[in-house]
Amino acid sequence: MKKLTVVLTILATLALVQCGPGPASPTAEPTEAPVVEEEEPPTEEPTEEPEPTEVPEQVLRIAFDASDLSTLDPHFAAATQDRAIVDMVFNGLIRYKPGDISQFEPDLAQAIPEPTMEDGQQVWVFALREGVMCHPWNGNEGYELTSEDVVYSLEKAANPDRSAYAGEYTGMTFEAPDDYTVRVVLDEPLSPALLLPKVTDYAGGFVVCKQAVEDLGDEAIKTHPVGTGPFRFDSYTPMENVTLAGNEQYFRGAPNLGRVEAHYIPDISSRELGVREGEIDLAEGLREQPWIEKMEGAEGVTVDVFGPGETVVLHMNQTVEPLDDVNVRQAIAHALAREDFLAFFGEDTADPLYSPVPVEFLAGGLTMEEVEEAGVLYPTDREGAQALLDEAGAESFSLTSNTSERASYRRTYEAIQDQLKQVGITLNLEVVDHSTMHSLIREDANPLIVYIAWRPNADVFLTRFYHSDSIVVTGENPDTNFSHYDQIDGLIEQARQETDPDAQAELWKDAQMQILEDAAAYPLFILKFVFGRAEYVDFGYDLQSTLALYPQITENTQVTR
Amino acid sequence: MLRAGEKAMIAYILRRMLVSVPILLVVLTLVFLLVRIAPGDPAVAALGDYASQEAVERMRQRMGLNKPLWMQYVDFLGQLARGDLGRSLINDVPVSQQIRRVLPYTLELTGSGIFVGLLFGIPLGIVTALRRNTLLDYAGRIFGLAGLSVPAFYLGILLMLLFAVELDLFPVVGGGELSDLRDNLHHLFLPALSLGLIMTAYITRMARSAMLEVLNADYMRTARAKGLQERVVLIRHGLRTALIPVVSVVGVYSIVLIGSSVMTEVVFSRPGVGKLMVGAMKQRDYTTLQSIMVIYASFVVIINLITDIAYGLIDPRIRYE
Repeated sequence: MKKLTVVLTILATLALVQCGPGPASPTAEPTEAPVVEEEEPPTEEPTEEPEPTEVPEQVLRIAFDASDLSTLDPHFAAATQDRAIVDMVFNGLIRYKPGDISQFEPDLAQAIPEPTMEDGQQVWVFALREGVMCHPWNGNEGYELTSEDVVYSLEKAANPDRSAYAGEYTGMTFEAPDDYTVRVVLDEPLSPALLLPKVTDYAGGFVVCKQAVEDLGDEAIKTHPVGTGPFRFDSYTPMENVTLAGNEQYFRGAPNLGRVEAHYIPDISSRELGVREGEIDLAEGLREQPWIEKMEGAEGVTVDVFGPGETVVLHMNQTVEPLDDVNVRQAIAHALAREDFLAFFGEDTADPLYSPVPVEFLAGGLTMEEVEEAGVLYPTDREGAQALLDEAGAESFSLTSNTSERASYRRTYEAIQDQLKQVGITLNLEVVDHSTMHSLIREDANPLIVYIAWRPNADVFLTRFYHSDSIVVTGENPDTNFSHYDQIDGLIEQARQETDPDAQAELWKDAQMQILEDAAAYPLFILKFVFGRAEYVDFGYDLQSTLALYPQITENTQVTR
Repeated sequence: MLRAGEKAMIAYILRRMLVSVPILLVVLTLVFLLVRIAPGDPAVAALGDYASQEAVERMRQRMGLNKPLWMQYVDFLGQLARGDLGRSLINDVPVSQQIRRVLPYTLELTGSGIFVGLLFGIPLGIVTALRRNTLLDYAGRIFGLAGLSVPAFYLGILLMLLFAVELDLFPVVGGGELSDLRDNLHHLFLPALSLGLIMTAYITRMARSAMLEVLNADYMRTARAKGLQERVVLIRHGLRTALIPVVSVVGVYSIVLIGSSVMTEVVFSRPGVGKLMVGAMKQRDYTTLQSIMVIYASFVVIINLITDIAYGLIDPRIRYE
């Protein structure tokens, strides 16, 4: 019996090894067999030239840290796995230069316009490219995108029933005087820094194809997006993957990749091994130094660490005792050490953050020197912190906060817990799953709130985190003002209306100085994005930063196995 | 004409099936309540971290989550009564369609796990019983203990590292195409081995202890005294009796195996009901989660029923009265 068992095992193993499609299967077979022309009858004279071989379709396989998509409606998409697909399928009127969010360039529009004033209203006129084709869908042939589609799309983005970003488009109307002209009319003038992000390839700025949306309906486009981008939607397998096909009619030229497969693989070990074994070409990684170093040591694998990343800020709820005392909040700021957080996450993944608006990528951010000069740097000073606590009569107290199970949140909270302990503050942590934490903090459950986020400009950062309208639960439009801060509404609104970029930036800086002085929040660091990549993947551009939350795949991306 | 014993068995099966209905109803109600009591919001999960509170509220309305709980419960039961599992809250795809697509992957995984367990577990259990207190027996017992202790996901990762990374023999991601037998088997091997080794450990321990009990039984001594060959004594008299507890244990452990298959599917990124369930949990996709629990509860009820029937077929002492 023993011999039989051993023999059977060996035979079964050998049979399975032999029958598989080959290890790692780096050259994924195309779903459809390539068309092979009928062979010519052999000629009399043998030829020296090798027979022409068909070039295999280039396929890129990306793995995201997700169980499934959430929505591919570009005006709702927010999660990494959704933004990535949306980024490949749609365009905006203008776009962030691939790999560099500090530069705008035309996308569906022919040029970036200058605003004019008409009857007291600011007007931006966009001239559209001609010949841009919407992708085909469900048996319908694609059609040429016109200003009617762009206006429809912007109106959808501005409709709170059909967009998560509607608040960004209040006081704006959209007109299509002819097929290739779009007019954006603003009740109140906006600076380019505030207007342009609304019409870029980001959030509400993505342009949908009107006929497709009306034909499919708002529900269906959540899983069947139709746009004008370099890749068109091909298929969706729930909880497994989305496949995109190269758009041969793309206005910048047909993409090098024939197909992109986006796989949902929530387990980091599987994503990591997938890249190492060549079964996955690009995978969302861990935003931690040890993971980066481990992957960079693997043969044929490289790691992309890129910006802008997300700001990690500690918000202090001023309605909770003793955090209602500014001395206590300042004591907490003095008790924390930014360098410890940076050491914790690693030099590649984390950069220090000195103001709520990050200075590296956005106008209106504060440098360390500016903050230091104003006396709101809060250098680590635990004796000073203790003195402030004594002054407030809060020598030792305890707080309880809910943290997400995700490492970026949990480890930040744990580091805060450790540092606050040194000044006699006990921070108890309740670990819950990520969406639960988001629900709880929006219900005002935490006295200390770590929030990791990115916003497209200083106005959105300040409005959503520090305007009184945005106070969680009780605000006029409850959002993410966790600290219940209400001291800079005037500055935020004044800056929004300021059209001179320099003056506007100064107002934003003033607002942030006030936030720091009141210690409503303490900016900790910026956490960058991390993806593992097979070395044979060439993005086709220099990756520095992207708002798409993944290394953008464009028509120039190549897989050169 | 059915014999009295057969009639009794059919009556027993029907009775058990009827009893299953209220059991399933209780399970469904518990699942319905638990997924809603658990903190977290499908709307937040669907819209992601960056969504505004206003957008979240509108999404809740679209998902029907603002309806009173009892109304949601009535809707849920009404749908089930019509054989409709509803549509996913997240992707709006019919849940039955999603389950139908991945169920074959889960069935082949658990089926092959049980097969591997039986293939190796029974012989190993018998051999270790026959070689009691030898080195082989100790090794078998350590293997059994390790199998009970090692979580399925950890074993899966170890197998991946050995067979996929070091030896480069098998893939680490995906389930392969069902229509392509070669590809499918190639992707199935490691996950099936991962589950199978755990099942082997369970069965080895049970087969060993059952066999040890049988070896000392009077009828075994009688069989040997009658001059029967040792092989005949062991197989015909010993093994058949020893298999009775093993069969019942296989039933119970198959249910455990379904649980282990969830993590195995996640670790190997295989399509499957377990992976679907974990995804639904993370996204608070109530309708998908409820429907999967219906499927799992039905599995457990069916497996228990099959086990009881098989028990009676193997052991003539069992009567369905």
